[in-house]
Amino acid sequence: MRMNKRSRLHLPSPPARPGEAPDFSYVQLSPAGAVPRPDVNARARDIGSLSLTLVRVLDDAGEAVGPWHPHLDPAELQIGLRHMLLTRLFDDRMQRNQRAGKISFYIRSLGEEAVSVAQGMALRPGDMLFPSYRNQGLQITRGIALVDLMCQLLSNTRDMCKGRQLPVMYHSRAGNIFSISGNLATQFPQAVGWAMAAAIKGEDHLAASWIGEGSSAEADFHHALLFASVYQAPVILNVVNNQWAISTFQGYAGGEQRSFAARGPGYGIAGIRVDGNDFLAVYAVTQWAAERARTGAGPTLIELVTYRVAAHSTSDDPARYRAKNDQEHWPLGDPIQRLKQHLIRIGEWSEARHVALTAELEALVASSWKEAASFGTMTEGPRLNADLMFEDVFKEMPEHLQKQRALMRAERG
Amino acid sequence: MAKMNMIQALNSAMDIMLKEDPSVVLMGEDIGYFGGVFRATEGLQRKYGEHRVIDTPIAEGGIVATAIGMSVNGLRPVAEIQFADYIYPGFDQICSELARIRYRSAGEFFAPVTIRTPCGGGIRGGQTHSQSPEGIFTHVSGIKVVMPSNPYDAKGLLITSIEDDDPVIFFEPKRLYNGPFDGDPNKPAVPWSSHPKGEVDEGYYKVPLGKADIVRGGADVTVITYGTMVFVAAAAAAAMNLDAEIIDLRSLVPLDVDAICSSVRKTGRCVVAHEATRFSGFGAEILSIVQEECFWDLEAPIQRVTGWDTPYPHAFEWEYFPGQARVAMALKAVLELA
Amino acid sequence: MSQYIFKMPDLGEGTVDAEIVAWHTKPGDAVSEDQLIVEVMTDKAAVEVPAPVSGRVVSITGAPGDKVAVGSPLIVFDIGDGAAAHAPPQAPNSTIAKAPAVPVAAVSAVASAPAVASAPAIASAPAAHPGRVMASPANRRRAREAGIDLSTVVGSGPGGRILRDDLAGRTPQPVPTRSDHPAARAVPETSEIKVIGLRRLIAERMSEAKRNIPHFAYVEEVDVTELEALRQQLNLSRPADAANLTFLPLVVMALTRVLESFPQCNVLYDAARGVLVRHRAVHVGIATQTPDGLKVPVVSNAQSLGLWEAAAEIRRLAERARSNKASRDELTGSTITVTSLGKLGGIASTPIINAPEVAIIGLNKATLRPVVYQDAVAVRLVMNLSSSFDHRFVDGYDAAAMIQALKELLEHPAMIFIPKVRSP
Repeated sequence: MRMNKRSRLHLPSPPARPGEAPDFSYVQLSPAGAVPRPDVNARARDIGSLSLTLVRVLDDAGEAVGPWHPHLDPAELQIGLRHMLLTRLFDDRMQRNQRAGKISFYIRSLGEEAVSVAQGMALRPGDMLFPSYRNQGLQITRGIALVDLMCQLLSNTRDMCKGRQLPVMYHSRAGNIFSISGNLATQFPQAVGWAMAAAIKGEDHLAASWIGEGSSAEADFHHALLFASVYQAPVILNVVNNQWAISTFQGYAGGEQRSFAARGPGYGIAGIRVDGNDFLAVYAVTQWAAERARTGAGPTLIELVTYRVAAHSTSDDPARYRAKNDQEHWPLGDPIQRLKQHLIRIGEWSEARHVALTAELEALVASSWKEAASFGTMTEGPRLNADLMFEDVFKEMPEHLQKQRALMRAERG
Repeated sequence: MAKMNMIQALNSAMDIMLKEDPSVVLMGEDIGYFGGVFRATEGLQRKYGEHRVIDTPIAEGGIVATAIGMSVNGLRPVAEIQFADYIYPGFDQICSELARIRYRSAGEFFAPVTIRTPCGGGIRGGQTHSQSPEGIFTHVSGIKVVMPSNPYDAKGLLITSIEDDDPVIFFEPKRLYNGPFDGDPNKPAVPWSSHPKGEVDEGYYKVPLGKADIVRGGADVTVITYGTMVFVAAAAAAAMNLDAEIIDLRSLVPLDVDAICSSVRKTGRCVVAHEATRFSGFGAEILSIVQEECFWDLEAPIQRVTGWDTPYPHAFEWEYFPGQARVAMALKAVLELA
Repeated sequence: MSQYIFKMPDLGEGTVDAEIVAWHTKPGDAVSEDQLIVEVMTDKAAVEVPAPVSGRVVSITGAPGDKVAVGSPLIVFDIGDGAAAHAPPQAPNSTIAKAPAVPVAAVSAVASAPAVASAPAIASAPAAHPGRVMASPANRRRAREAGIDLSTVVGSGPGGRILRDDLAGRTPQPVPTRSDHPAARAVPETSEIKVIGLRRLIAERMSEAKRNIPHFAYVEEVDVTELEALRQQLNLSRPADAANLTFLPLVVMALTRVLESFPQCNVLYDAARGVLVRHRAVHVGIATQTPDGLKVPVVSNAQSLGLWEAAAEIRRLAERARSNKASRDELTGSTITVTSLGKLGGIASTPIINAPEVAIIGLNKATLRPVVYQDAVAVRLVMNLSSSFDHRFVDGYDAAAMIQALKELLEHPAMIFIPKVRSP
């Protein structure tokens, strides 16, 4: 029997599938500088519109405009550019290493460098970060050595995780970056708890966390917003809307019906939607949210609108579910390109310096890799002792694990 | 020393820990202002304030997750899950996060969270107030699992659990909150004040994890048990005039394997008793260990006394609950009595 | 396959176990009802055990020398389908006890192979459960530690499961020794005799008697010249069917007279209850050397026997003992024992009391000796009596007085036959 009526079950689909023409008209844009900047203490219900508009500072010509202009020192911007470029070059090199079989797995943040770097720079070292696996820019911004990141990717004898984690699941106690989990969105409410503890202890540190828009579907997203709202926890909750979660288009996370930032006001907390590829805007919004939290005015949900230029991971092939040249049509450009353009425009950078910086950073990546490889690679050099498998399950190794360790040793002869 | 029931003993433990360690906080549904649906946290918010004893939304996943976040920031949270039957929304945060933080960060981060939760039946509570899911958590590496059977142990074990830098799930058999229960619902309730383990030190003391308690020494048969079944099994064995060695495990992870094996090697006959469902229950693990370690000392097959493999029914409480009759059948079988 | 499990029967009132002396069948043999299958021995008697059913032997329990408890499985028969209905239930006290004993196969020193090799083959037939032996882990370990092959044990538990008690009394399998090797069979320096059967019994009883009883020896010489004259005179006029009279019946009769006045020497000590049981009757044990070893048949109620009756009984009992036909009843119940080695008697000896008795009278050799007789040196026939008494219960005075009384009777033998004056 044929169904003449429109089905009552709606099934989201992206505007362009492989072979189709890219179409980003669904992305709600605002002109640069158009969105007002409220006071950090404004009530959430009064600034609801910020969750539907798009905070932008850099216009298409690379000019910084509007009330959200952070007026950062050019030196600061240059540091930001450096961090972003290093993140990208590091990603490139690790991607190539994975394809060459030198590491088993990798996740790039291509096109999203401003999200991690600008936000990382807008926060203080004592603020605790609860990132996802696509925020390596935070590691670099917080000064975690490339060698350390690479040793984790290699699971070698200097692996910070002692061989226990998949590549890219970093942590840094000294850098105040929490251990990355393979489970989606679990870090969101954990960040809220950390922030609650900071408030209980009477400290002015913040917590900040990042998830993708796809992960916002998980119950942990709801728990995070609920607890953040109930306790007015000093936390910044970031939803990085890069449009894709493997092959799951952002429509399946509810993005078609409402922006992700708009969930904030739904829970009674401030929600701000920002151009994730605009370094200055990202910095400015993060700075606003940090000041809001630090002054006790409560949490903020920030939706960073960006685009996942590369595949989800080295195990993914986006050509199978989206148009191959999608990223060329992304309306908000490339973060590194745009900051570079802006710095050149204000006379604080040049192509030559950019080339030189690129070379310098590539050399840094290369030398770091060489050093990291000396601690063991997948094919040669020293290897971690499998005995480590049994440590840190508990603080003290219980008897049954001692026995199992002995069995493993016997099994291996 | 004072006479305390289990609720009072738990309250005392939390009171002392809140006092001694400023990083300890309590959190959970109805635990703050109201003092908890079982009164376990009675008076503590009044005493220590809302920043230390925190009411939460009805969101077990959120409770566990925020507790983890707090513990990473140097607090020592004691989170209550109102009934063990409701722990499942928090399952991911417990198994994927709480259990692994130390491991995956090579000890750079750890989460000293204690999750307290009432469990077990015998109270006509039906499916959503009677479950014993402890076995599920023993299967996840990185979590400690504890279940006291009396006020004295409850207080000491809770203090130890809170001080432990590893995550602990602390199961409280709710049937034993007010008094020991031997499985006979028709007898008048016995209060803890009439029982020696109802004598509880009012100050700070610890009962170690991983150490079973030999409730009664004996030579005929070894009964390995925990929770409410400690009393049910002891009563069943006494009614049969058996010289049974009753072992209260108290701690499932870590497990006192030495106590179990010493006893079974001595008696050659073993019964395992728990309220939880039979198939893949924790008893199956004990049986496996006994079989591996004590096979050549076994005179007869090991017997299990458990709940049936059904959801916990309401009207059939006493046919479901593993009472003395079920224990007696197991004892007869293992001793090869007529 | 239906099976009949034959259990060790009770061979006398309250026998608790019996020792296997020799198998007359082996697994696989077909036997018919009443056919001799095994010889067993109780405290004193060797007993033949007939097959209770016809069938094929599946398995046997025990090797020669093993003790098997009464009621425990001894042999399993396959009686075929339908035959189960005809298999007799085992009576608690079967009639086995009355069967005549046959000579026990001597297990003597064998020049070449170890003694065990001459024993019947140990059963290697499958146990009750086809293909598998059923036993709990603990019992498997006990069997392993004791070197017992579980496939040779008959299980009395459910489904033929081997219980702990089934393992009791089993001896380990023999470990093959180097002398099994043909090359080593030439001329061995030593040979081994297993201490089983009667020898073991004797050994146990002697040790126990010596261990528990403080023996007090009393030796007296008796002028038996008159006794000898009487004996010869009696033999000249003995009844046609009577055999030659020896000293022994005369001594027995004299002893019964003497014990009337010395009842404290005619008692049995019940150690378990700590009482001395005084017997009015006198049951005299006669220590008898047999090819198998020392046996002590008993002249019951010797006090009521006339001389010729006593003599005949003594002779009969000796004959039965020597030919291994003496029944259990004939070998038990003595209240006092007389031991004589006849010509080999020597001049003095220290006999070991036949527990639970308290006295044993030993006759040494009667020889002609020069003695002072009626104030002059004369050649008289003199025989010593070497007796032992349990000094816990018989004081030296009583022992001496009794022997003196016996001596007086033997030196004036006519007095043996004068009944005691009964007090009113």
